[in-house]
Amino acid sequence: MNPAEVALTPFERPSTLAELCRTLSARAGRKERTVLLAGGTDWIVERRLAQPEDTEDLPLVLDVSRLPELRGIHVAKERAEIGAAATFLEIRHHPALSRRAPVLTAMAREVGAVQIQARGTLGGNLATASPAADGAAALMALDADVVLASAHGERRVPMTGFFTGYRKTQRAEDEAIVRVEFALPRAGAHQAWRKVGTRAAQAISKVAFAAVVELDGGRGVRAGFGMASVAPVTVSLPTVRALGLAASPASVSDDELDAATRRDIAPIDDLRSTAAYRAHVASALVKNFFQALRTSGGS
Amino acid sequence: MKITFVVNRRSRTIDAPPLARLLDVLRGPLGLTGTKEGCGEGECGSCTVLLDGVPVNACLVAAGQCDGRRVLTVEGLGKRAGLSALQDAFVKEGGAQCGICTPGFLMSAHALLAANPRPGEGEIRESIAGNVCRCTGYQRIVESIRRAAKERTPREPG
Repeated sequence: MNPAEVALTPFERPSTLAELCRTLSARAGRKERTVLLAGGTDWIVERRLAQPEDTEDLPLVLDVSRLPELRGIHVAKERAEIGAAATFLEIRHHPALSRRAPVLTAMAREVGAVQIQARGTLGGNLATASPAADGAAALMALDADVVLASAHGERRVPMTGFFTGYRKTQRAEDEAIVRVEFALPRAGAHQAWRKVGTRAAQAISKVAFAAVVELDGGRGVRAGFGMASVAPVTVSLPTVRALGLAASPASVSDDELDAATRRDIAPIDDLRSTAAYRAHVASALVKNFFQALRTSGGS
Repeated sequence: MKITFVVNRRSRTIDAPPLARLLDVLRGPLGLTGTKEGCGEGECGSCTVLLDGVPVNACLVAAGQCDGRRVLTVEGLGKRAGLSALQDAFVKEGGAQCGICTPGFLMSAHALLAANPRPGEGEIRESIAGNVCRCTGYQRIVESIRRAAKERTPREPG
């Protein structure tokens, strides 16, 4: 962001969700652009690297980082709700989440380093819709719903259908992401998080993988997957998921898993890795997870 | 925009564009040049300060988001009379060489020790994983933090 943009970009801090929705609705009606700013870990960097904008047509920046309705983490008996502006650090240190949804805790621990975890949020992760969104992968594995609010009320969109294309989501211009919700996996569910990057901290994933599978007498009764950095959007691996819901996921062969993984991803060569490496790692991560189901006795 | 916040335990009010980076506000109008700019993209941790006690990259925080909050910079660690135990340990163990990354490392380590006065080596290394140093190879920084943890008196403010 150049000095003129910094000086001229309007900035407001709505104090309630209702106020935020009114502003979004009025501006969307007039086709005026609005940016919802939470931790800024993507937007501030991207604006700095981007071409200068026309200072006559700057977006309004709305700081939602401390909006009460977007804050907080609630873990009840069977469901969890996480505010869109809850930070990765808050998620990481939430004791009930680490007991019931360790896939999410492990993800939050590996997003950036502490400085990024302290600012980054799930709402920002979903709205930015990077194909490398670790948070989105974990939420897909948990079969979460994204709750969007506008002046017309709330609606929910399943995580598996939230992304519509490269950096595109179901969120309309007049909507804000308020929270995510999911049914907590039952005790004993198999949950896994694996992030493959250049180094342990700070790296953007070459491949990230999240999985949640519940078995009942060897039968797959709940299965969710998420994989980042292997397609234009974070993907939910639907073919792999079908194998996770099979009569006996522990008996699925490696060949079947390889074929399913290949069908569900569309990796590319880019500055962080190659398509061939990503395809190899993606298959290995899926096979390792199913291998763990086998060694656990398929129960 | 008028921004009122507590910087190094003192209430300050400045008039700055809300989207100015906290880093520039600290170094400019507030004259606190101890916080260094490295990459400006949230990768290197040189500009680490504590916002409400938690390490953040000051290059990624909009000044307008700091209104009503508490910021601690490297200038807030020592006293006029001398260095903090942590800073002293960095001197004694050779934890600082060229110095650009040092304020960031000090802030990350300060936050760690405030929350966890007896960290293990793994916890020390994880706490500074968001800080990059091109001189020391990290070993002496880890030893500095370990020494500070050992020598820290319980009375030192967190």
